[in-house]
Amino acid sequence: MSLELARRLVEILLALALIQQSLEHLRGFRDERILFGARIVLAVLVLAGVAGPWPLVGLAGLSLLILHRFQGPYNGGSDRMGLLILWCLTLSSLAPTPILAELAFGYLGAQLTLSYFISGWVKVVNPDWRSGRALRDVFQFSAYPVAESLRGFAQRPGLLRAMSWGVMGFELAFPLTLLWPPALMVGLVVAGTFHLANACLFGLNRFFWTWLSAYPAILWLQGRVF
Amino acid sequence: MPRRTEPLLAPLKLLAPALVPSWNFFDVIAPAPRVEYALLASPGDTSGTWRVFRPRPARVSLPEMLQRLVWNPRWNQNLFVMSCAERLAEDRTPEHSEAELFKRIAADLAAEPADPARPWLCFRLVFVHREGEVLTEEVMVQPAPRRLAEIDIR
Repeated sequence: MSLELARRLVEILLALALIQQSLEHLRGFRDERILFGARIVLAVLVLAGVAGPWPLVGLAGLSLLILHRFQGPYNGGSDRMGLLILWCLTLSSLAPTPILAELAFGYLGAQLTLSYFISGWVKVVNPDWRSGRALRDVFQFSAYPVAESLRGFAQRPGLLRAMSWGVMGFELAFPLTLLWPPALMVGLVVAGTFHLANACLFGLNRFFWTWLSAYPAILWLQGRVF
Repeated sequence: MPRRTEPLLAPLKLLAPALVPSWNFFDVIAPAPRVEYALLASPGDTSGTWRVFRPRPARVSLPEMLQRLVWNPRWNQNLFVMSCAERLAEDRTPEHSEAELFKRIAADLAAEPADPARPWLCFRLVFVHREGEVLTEEVMVQPAPRRLAEIDIR
């Protein structure tokens, strides 16, 4: 996959993700409607491929105003990943040389890999994760389960231990999928399914669309490096 | 650092953790905040009934879960409310977080019939955590009440 194609795919997927998120804010307060209305306009321009790279630059500038409005990301990790994608795309588009453009875009692919590996590492060094206790806590008392009925999973420690090891094993093994293109495809399908499950169980729909929009970057990086 | 550059640097400081992420999702399961609110007759009134702000539903069907993939504003706002609660408890951006929580509770209350006998709104943050096998609850923050009519919900 060429850099241009990968970048364009990420642009399209990110623009769709930003439009989806922004539409949700249009039923919010007046200042949110103004900020996210402007973001929809800019994201549509990115989607249409019009006047590039300036709509991306506009989105990057607007992202600072949105960060200021909420004094940080609105939705934690998913918004931070969205910012990383947006700024890597923008810097890659503005880079004065091809190698700098590749470095900016490659950084996104590398961070995507790290997002899985480090998440797995910080869990596996925690005894509560290895025993399944941490995941039990998530279901038992954390604010994430979307319904009270899901708290019942806390009464199934064997299942939660198996799920914990499944998640940690996948996250830690993810960098190995870069060694072989078919393995990477399988890895991304598993990762997408993982995000889908998190979206359904914990309402983290923004993670699903945001992480998906970065996948072309890792497909490009795999072909470029290996 | 000169004061004049602080407003320019503040958003960049907020951006930095996104550009150099830690990726330590769920490394430890921290105490979970729950927002409760009450309407009071006066700022010193203690007779208000505490209600959970946006209690989760008993069940959510699979089709509804899938529909929320593309339309999930209320839950995403709940996640932001949770972030504000954590920031407030940790004394990060306390004024902003407190104002956001008052504003979002007041906006929900605007859809209900007003109670003229109880014009004051207060909230508290209850943190749930596990000690051994027992779940415990602790009230960590309870800001001064605000007059409901004076909270801007536009």
